[in-house]
Amino acid sequence: MKVHVDPERCQGHTLCAMIAPDLFTLDDVDGHSSAIDGEVPAGLEARADEAIRSCPEQAISIIP
Amino acid sequence: MSTEPVTEDDAERKKNRYHFDRHTPEYRQQFADVTAEMLDKCPVAWSDTYGGHWVAAGHSEVFELARSAEYVSNDHDPANERRGYKGISIPSPDVGFRGGFLEMDPPEQRYYRQLLNPYLSPAAVARWTPLVDELVRASLNEKIESGQIDFVDDLANIVPAVLTLGMLGIPLKNWDIYVEPIHASVYTPPNSPDMPRLQASRLAMRDDMLGQLAEIRANGRPGLIHALATAEINGTVPPDFELLGIISLLIGGGFDTTTALTAHALEWLSENPDQRARLSAERDTLLNPATEEFLRYFTPAPGDGRTISADCEIAGQQFKEGERLWLSWAMSNRDPEVFPSPNEVDLARTGNRHHSFGLGIHRCIGSNVARMVFKRMVTAVLDRMPDYQCDPAGAEHYQTIGIIQGMKHLPATFTPGPRVGDGLDDTIARMQVVVDEQRLAEPVTVRKGAADIE
Repeated sequence: MKVHVDPERCQGHTLCAMIAPDLFTLDDVDGHSSAIDGEVPAGLEARADEAIRSCPEQAISIIP
Repeated sequence: MSTEPVTEDDAERKKNRYHFDRHTPEYRQQFADVTAEMLDKCPVAWSDTYGGHWVAAGHSEVFELARSAEYVSNDHDPANERRGYKGISIPSPDVGFRGGFLEMDPPEQRYYRQLLNPYLSPAAVARWTPLVDELVRASLNEKIESGQIDFVDDLANIVPAVLTLGMLGIPLKNWDIYVEPIHASVYTPPNSPDMPRLQASRLAMRDDMLGQLAEIRANGRPGLIHALATAEINGTVPPDFELLGIISLLIGGGFDTTTALTAHALEWLSENPDQRARLSAERDTLLNPATEEFLRYFTPAPGDGRTISADCEIAGQQFKEGERLWLSWAMSNRDPEVFPSPNEVDLARTGNRHHSFGLGIHRCIGSNVARMVFKRMVTAVLDRMPDYQCDPAGAEHYQTIGIIQGMKHLPATFTPGPRVGDGLDDTIARMQVVVDEQRLAEPVTVRKGAADIE
């Protein structure tokens, strides 16, 4: 599975990167998040799920 | 103020009614009960207070409304050049200018955000962490040998203020010109005998702000003010009164909110010493979720006003153009649909999608500053005053939580400890040299590294 951040919805709350710094990266200039490319490594699925549940803008989704 | 006759359509639209007055002491005292009742019966209700306005309390309702910028306006238009909207305060203060980009709509609002984001992004804010640690250390030094501290006056009022001035490009030592008028403006009622003194301190602050704006325009000292002073917004140079509104927004947002969060968290940790010990021991994993939980539970900025800008139906409720709306971040943060046991503090809470920094395009631009400063202050207290006990008799909360849920004073005692390094005035002077020589207040696009402090 992969995670995806909808750039139209993300407003830079940064919770996803706090929860799962290996899965999300924040833009230096505006702090908006994007998913680090590639498959979610084994063992980090729960972190991905917690990031999705914690996003105030509901901007994160799973790509199977 | 609406004087239109009540039509049948209106009566139907406004059938969910709740007398909501967040500016009364009763609202603060009964917050949990009012919140539970509104969430249960009327997550969106019409209130007859302040000329009549909608109140959104439910989490999903606030979520939908706050993210509907095409129907929900932040505009404040005191000169009636557009539609005369009243901005984010209910009731609207009788002032002739708007409160920065928080009282603007896109695209204008977006130009300012894009201008200032490179000073306030996580990467930009991280550069200031070593400087904040110095300010925290020095503030605690002033009290550490005495065994007594007021966490508001002696720590949480000082560090956010000095840091905010640094980011703006204002000399750090001027913090005491700014801190009192900002702090006292929030809790002083209009009829207070202290009002003349407060007005005088506000004027002194405004004079300093105007002086700084002129000086920075002339000498190019970096910082948020420099970005504003040299900005062209959509091809035009904004007038000074507009820039003052923005600088005031950044100062108002940067000072008392973080103070309020820190004071409430330290008070709660004093009342729950087992949780304090746990937070200190497990800070590597617990500090981030605990910070979000304190933000959720205490919601320092409890809400924002809006104006409906077009007839619409959102979250199952019909709204008409021109109607006023209060988005309650504080009440939506207690919605049991999203937060199990919402009236309990759970330092390890998961799925904590609270609304304390707002939502949508107006998300608090200083959220990264607030989190960083809060964490550095709290962990330093845990390290140097681990057994502190707040004095409930001396703790003074704001009487009302209509604007900020804050505290005036939070005295505490603790086992005295040794000073580490220099005191506050010397530290502020040293930090000014760091800010100037390392051009720390440049945007992150120009200067990337963290402050280098010997």
